[in-house]
Amino acid sequence: MRGQVSRKTVFAFIGPAVIGLAVVGIAPLLYAVWTSLHFYNLTKLKRVEFIGLENYMTVLTDGVFWQAMGRTFFLLGTALPLQLALGLMIALVLHQPGLTLIKTLCRLSLVLPMATTYAVVGLLGQVMFNQKFGVVNQLLGGADINWIGDPENAFAMIIFWDVWQWTPFVALVLLAGLTMVPGEVEEAARLETKSKWTVLRYVQLPFLLPGLVAVLILRTADTLKLFDMVFTLTRGGPGSSTEFISLMIQRVGFRGFDQGLASAQAIILLIITIILAQIYIRVFYKEV
Amino acid sequence: MKTLRNLLGATAVTSLMATGAIAGGHGWSLADAAKPYAGTTVDVVFLLRPGYEAIEAMLPAFEEETGIKINIIKHPYENALGEQVRDFVAGGDLDIALIDLVWMGNFAENEWVLPLADVQAKFPDIVDPALDIDDFFPLVLNAFGGWNDTIYGLPVDNYSGLMFYNRCMLEEAGFDGPPSTWQELKDVYGPALTKDGKYAFALQSKRNETQSADSFARVLWPFGGSFLDENFRSNLLSEESQAGLQFRQELMQYMPDGIVAYDHAETVNAFSQGDVAMITEWSAFYSSVVSSDTSKVADCVEIAPEPMGPAGRKPALGGFSMAVASQADEAEQAAAYLFIQWATSAENAREYLERGGVPARQSVYQQDGLEAFKFVPALVESWQDGVPEFRPRFAEWPEITEIVQEWGTKMMLGEVTTVEGAEEIGTRMEAVLESAGYYSGDKPLAQ
Repeated sequence: MRGQVSRKTVFAFIGPAVIGLAVVGIAPLLYAVWTSLHFYNLTKLKRVEFIGLENYMTVLTDGVFWQAMGRTFFLLGTALPLQLALGLMIALVLHQPGLTLIKTLCRLSLVLPMATTYAVVGLLGQVMFNQKFGVVNQLLGGADINWIGDPENAFAMIIFWDVWQWTPFVALVLLAGLTMVPGEVEEAARLETKSKWTVLRYVQLPFLLPGLVAVLILRTADTLKLFDMVFTLTRGGPGSSTEFISLMIQRVGFRGFDQGLASAQAIILLIITIILAQIYIRVFYKEV
Repeated sequence: MKTLRNLLGATAVTSLMATGAIAGGHGWSLADAAKPYAGTTVDVVFLLRPGYEAIEAMLPAFEEETGIKINIIKHPYENALGEQVRDFVAGGDLDIALIDLVWMGNFAENEWVLPLADVQAKFPDIVDPALDIDDFFPLVLNAFGGWNDTIYGLPVDNYSGLMFYNRCMLEEAGFDGPPSTWQELKDVYGPALTKDGKYAFALQSKRNETQSADSFARVLWPFGGSFLDENFRSNLLSEESQAGLQFRQELMQYMPDGIVAYDHAETVNAFSQGDVAMITEWSAFYSSVVSSDTSKVADCVEIAPEPMGPAGRKPALGGFSMAVASQADEAEQAAAYLFIQWATSAENAREYLERGGVPARQSVYQQDGLEAFKFVPALVESWQDGVPEFRPRFAEWPEITEIVQEWGTKMMLGEVTTVEGAEEIGTRMEAVLESAGYYSGDKPLAQ
């Protein structure tokens, strides 16, 4: 087989993809590594110099960076379980037989939050959670809750919007997993037990695991680089209460113009994301 | 006001006579000067603020007379510096730099803009004999357009901090005028005006330049504090700086909840809706609060200078200049200069004012019929007593302002005390200055 396909043909097929990936993905990454090893401030380009790992040392010993990282993981630890729980519930409901038209409409409507631009979600949040005129306080009986200006409330608001926007994604992925369960196996299980939990745990869950792992990896990566919605909604405030790691990197790189330090922060974030993805794959695939 | 008008009038007339620039006496015309550059397109960044809308409305006349096309790229303030820095670093298209007074050190030291004198020497035929640079308020020209004794830009969108107050609310509470001191505002007006869901005062304090410029710096200077001492070491732990920062904490009880999330828009809106009796805001927002289209309290709005502190009035100073970009080609540089000269000219200052802008020309404020512009006396007074280094104007300010924004907000939220916050800002600020070479003598202690 190998002798029948020339090397030129192989390169012709995969070459464009490799070149595209190199230009779009790898070259900027290498450039970020290069800048992270230099003093590289956009407003002081006359002073660009190689400083080795100094930027990395600064990041690793910077309490503000780790506070932002802690905040990001707290968001991940609160929003992701909620998304998984709610997404699974929706998937199980939509997996029930009957009511085909309503289920189709529900599936379609699930796409809407995901299709909404992140920045628009943030702007929507500004209006809906406005203390005086916002619909949220009106729905709460004319409550006078200060959502955007209070650190805890602002954080809760971010969790709400993240859950609102990404629970449908989890639901659709898990619904796809449920449709993979052979009908006769599921039917046989239901004849064996009336416990829905038992069916879920021993029949459906094994089919859901690949999707769950994909959700965990994608949502973890998305949360770690969550930016647009928070930027338009709170801009990281009040104070630092919603300054997640990606907002901090943007602030350092594009408002303080220290591209070297921001690159070092981004590289460290990338390493953390890769490690987490590896952990998810090893832990969860082991159970399959 | 009369004395001030006479004084400024005399200055303006003297300046005009000294430069021999009485209009019409030189045969110079904009149309003739612009002829070689007709068809040139000039790219410039504008902000989403009234002063820029005013120029935009006047622009057709300029384009028709000169044949020069002005391509306006609009940005909110918060994006304007980043967009311009990236453009200049990449050798982009901008032909004019729009420079906030705190960005000037950056633009000048990086040689992204040309000194005004260099442009005039390069293109002597396009210099309007009636330019009369002495007609600009000296403080404004030097602070907004100058760096290290060199003028780069001409002031275009000019601000001074003013007190906007709701006369109706104050009268209802038994006051016949605004407070003259910050202490009076807090101790007398605060308790009387904060009730029934209304607040005496709002100090815009959102975590961006608003926190460092409009909130933090605003309470430093009137109390005798400052960011730096004469050796460029942090002065934030001085008794005076701490008094100002502590005052802000105490004043917060008379401000709306969540004031740390208030930017200019929220503050002006709260005032315009009648929810807040007094604000200290830039003169640029005058046209918004007195327009019945955007303000419920338009008929009640009055303007006064900012209150005084123990060290005097020391009002906030802010504003922009436009300078010719060094990256532009020769035709673009000449066309850009012509546009800047036209937009900031004494001749157009009155129309600019009437359309919602705030010119920096002394002569326009001597003209009759300015009674409708209630902010003028307070503005002129403020520009006599402003602090050019209200925020340090060196190239390191973008880094330092981020530090001030973060820890200034933490102070307001009570997450750290004013002393702890000042220590943190001081340590980080000095690290930035040390790295820049101020302490080793590599850079002069200029701000």
